[in-house]
Amino acid sequence: MTNKKHLLLLMLLVIANLQIAHAKEENVQIVSEDDYIGDVPKVLTVSRLSQPLSDAPSAVTVIDRATIRASGIVDLPEIFRLVPGFYVGTNAGYIYNSNHVVSYHGMATAYAGTMQVLINGRSVYTPVFGGVKWSELPIAIADIERIEVTRGPNAASYGANSYFGVINILTEHPSEAEGNKISVTHGDGRNEAFYRHGGKLGDLSYRITTGYREDDGLDNRNDFKRTRLLNAQADYQINDTNSLEFEFGIANGNRADGEAAKDYVLFVPREREIFNHYELIRWQHNISADSDFKLQAYHSFDRSNDNFTSTNLRANAAKLFIENGFLPAVANAFVGTFLNDQVSINNDIDTERFDIEAQHTFSPVSNLRVVWGGSTRLDNTYAPYWLGTKATDRFKLQRLFGHVEWRINDKLLMNVGSMVEHNSFTGTDISPRASINFKITPNQTIRLGVSSALRTPNYVEEKFNAKVIIPRVAPFPAGVAYTFQDAGNVNPEKIVSREIGYLGDFGQFSLDAKIFNDEISDFISTPRIPNFVTPGFTNLAGRARSGENGGDVLVNGFETQAKWRLTKDTNLLLNYAYVDITANEDDTTSNINQSAPRHTISALLTHRFDSNWDASLAYYQTSKTTQLGDGNPVDLIRKCDIRVARKFSSGNWNGEVSGVVENLFDSHDQEFADYNTLKRRARINLRLDF
Amino acid sequence: MNKIKKIGSLSKLVHFVLVLVLFVPFLSHAYTGITIVLSAPSQTNLDFVDSFKEELIATKNHNLKVKVIDLQETEKLIVAENSELVIALGVKALTAASKLKHTTPVIGVFTPLPTFNALLESSGRDLGIFSAIVLDQPYSRQISLIKTVLPEIKTLGILLGSTSSRYAEHLRDEGEKNSLNVSLETINDESELIPKLQKVLESNDALLAIPDPSIYNRETAQPILLTSYRHQKPVFGYSQSYVRAGALAAVYSNTKHLAKQAAEIAIKTQQAPGLLPPPQTPKYFSVLVNHQVARSLNITVMNDEDIYKILLKLEMTQHEEARH
Repeated sequence: MTNKKHLLLLMLLVIANLQIAHAKEENVQIVSEDDYIGDVPKVLTVSRLSQPLSDAPSAVTVIDRATIRASGIVDLPEIFRLVPGFYVGTNAGYIYNSNHVVSYHGMATAYAGTMQVLINGRSVYTPVFGGVKWSELPIAIADIERIEVTRGPNAASYGANSYFGVINILTEHPSEAEGNKISVTHGDGRNEAFYRHGGKLGDLSYRITTGYREDDGLDNRNDFKRTRLLNAQADYQINDTNSLEFEFGIANGNRADGEAAKDYVLFVPREREIFNHYELIRWQHNISADSDFKLQAYHSFDRSNDNFTSTNLRANAAKLFIENGFLPAVANAFVGTFLNDQVSINNDIDTERFDIEAQHTFSPVSNLRVVWGGSTRLDNTYAPYWLGTKATDRFKLQRLFGHVEWRINDKLLMNVGSMVEHNSFTGTDISPRASINFKITPNQTIRLGVSSALRTPNYVEEKFNAKVIIPRVAPFPAGVAYTFQDAGNVNPEKIVSREIGYLGDFGQFSLDAKIFNDEISDFISTPRIPNFVTPGFTNLAGRARSGENGGDVLVNGFETQAKWRLTKDTNLLLNYAYVDITANEDDTTSNINQSAPRHTISALLTHRFDSNWDASLAYYQTSKTTQLGDGNPVDLIRKCDIRVARKFSSGNWNGEVSGVVENLFDSHDQEFADYNTLKRRARINLRLDF
Repeated sequence: MNKIKKIGSLSKLVHFVLVLVLFVPFLSHAYTGITIVLSAPSQTNLDFVDSFKEELIATKNHNLKVKVIDLQETEKLIVAENSELVIALGVKALTAASKLKHTTPVIGVFTPLPTFNALLESSGRDLGIFSAIVLDQPYSRQISLIKTVLPEIKTLGILLGSTSSRYAEHLRDEGEKNSLNVSLETINDESELIPKLQKVLESNDALLAIPDPSIYNRETAQPILLTSYRHQKPVFGYSQSYVRAGALAAVYSNTKHLAKQAAEIAIKTQQAPGLLPPPQTPKYFSVLVNHQVARSLNITVMNDEDIYKILLKLEMTQHEEARH
């Protein structure tokens, strides 16, 4: 009996042991030698590696996720207040693009066209008025990984219109965005909701973001914005050396436009519909350890539906005639000959872009890195009112570019590049650049650079042929040209920019400073032409405009950015810029010397209290300025924003609640123009990741 | 209580018999040379055979016969049983060789340490007769590399998976010895990878990759390296391939290094048959730095050879200290 018991126990033990052994085997993954020495696809290929700031040919400001988050912004362009030398104006312009204006070193109208703006290498610069329709971009701030801002012309790398600088917005790689994210914002004049899903299907990683934005705009302005957007990005790893990337975005919604006080025909208050989408495909091929090839093609389409009717013209036109020296009786008699009280204008604008670009990056010897490539673009523009025709205008552009980074020795680095561009507006142009970076110590660099760039005129300056004709009753011939814009056929504007830069990195403290001198020639403006003869029509004196090349403009200044890690949990970002514009206003355009604030200061202080709580304080100051175009004189602005956030998590959920108060002291300053008054606004955001 | 004692004594007996069986036949067996078993006729394995033979010639050990068996062509490994030494290249070869009779000395090359341990346990072989030159570089060497490349480094982040989590303590200790604060995150599920990686990158100066197929594999290389790069934090890899993919640097041993070490063992074994040295980490190694990545991260790094010399010197002093 005892023996039997023993045997039974032994058997049980053996079985138990077997089970344990079995369980163990299942737990332990058998690791093979391939897990150690097997091939891994090349990820940080030569084209993916960016130059460190100390090797870059010009001053570069990098804004990362953490900074974007800490700033508490809801409108993307607001982030550029944290870049030295940048001016951001709320709600500039009245029609088509009543968005933020973002400019660098001044000379910008509401449709600031002096900077190239790219999202993952795709140009979002609009050809009609120039500039970027920021609120219409189908992009969610939460998807942005970082923003690289090149402060200075960089045509040799990014093409013409990389005139004063380049903004390159880079979104998160789909493989980093797995899971779900919900973000909801509610506040003064603002409601937003976004949902994002990221996943993986074998070798395909993808991300889809969709959202809705309600922006009621500023008080006393007809500027509300409603935007629905969807954005998708996917990366397909074909094999170790080839990958395909896909991007797609679509946005639509309504915009309120116009400003009755400014003009009773074109700026009549109204609502219009916007619609845009884009599709992109990119093939990345890793040729060898030191050589990459990239081929990218995209298409984008943008529509603004804007058919409207003017206000009653008679009274207003009579007033204009009297202002222009006519006797009231004559003026009244004249407006009596108008056929109708009102005119209708078809301000629909469709633009479409096709772009193909090839780029080869390689390193023939270890101290040389070469990028070269070419691109071709077609812009189709349909703008019956502005172009004076229902035909679609075609703008073609071809480019060839090359850039060499030569590391002469440990201390000396040289960047040389050039771009040749041929376009339908201004023919063939060349934009070269060169810079030398000298490392005085391993963590301090002096940079000397000179670069030239061209700004291709936009449609306003080159091709606008717009008129509002007020028909008259018989027997009076033809009608009255209320407004007239004539094709400018101008030359490109040229800039030669010289700079001396300094970069120091001392661990807790880093400093970027530069003094610059920008020489602009053939400055393009669209002045009124007082004695313009309107062919076949009676002209309303002084209301005709045309693009023309003017005189020279000189911009001198100094700008600096300091990053200071005060403690492990406290960071300070500090920016200052001094910009001095000198030009003869008779040859260029009036107010050009005031088109950039002389002094701009911005600062962002962030502090983490513990792993859950953090807060940030932002300060922005711009001295008085008069922006061109629709801008007018505004005084010194001081603005303070505060953000407090608390993170939380439970199980598989991570989240954050944050509150932002913009313009904490309710300063009621005017920005860009006297019709834009900044007031205090608060909002709350809830974010959930799961 | 009584029963357990009895079982204990039974296992002792078995053990005794086993040991007896292990050693006795050796005395009677004639020398039959070395058999190299290949998991597959891959370039790495074929190179190993060449380097191994060259090493024997270079050290004037022409008398050692070398026979090569490809596991894919040989159903039964039994032919290897009378070898004086079986060198198994790769996990498959070592698994097969572990099933040979327990008197055949087997040494694994191109074998990860966790796999060697698992095979040691499952085969019931003894260490004196079953050994390996594992693929794992000693942690002290890796930490020395990190300290040499980044002298200012204070905190090092490490992600551990189901396989590598057992080394947590070793890693922490090795960091402590070098006044490096090591913070470890264990990944239990694939979905945790990126969030935990981001957490580690946010609070540490660099990431050290410890091989674990649940974390570091072909598919995760892209998100891991991209995320680290976007945080502007360097990754220290464990292979040439990972460095080429985008890690900053690694210590690694190539085929030649491992063949040299294996040849040394083979020669020694010939002199003292039947007593293999304990499993060991690679003795010879190289340093590989991705200078393009270094430049892009704005890290000034000396050339690979100079770093190697520093590491070698460090290891010699450590060795001296250990002896005293």
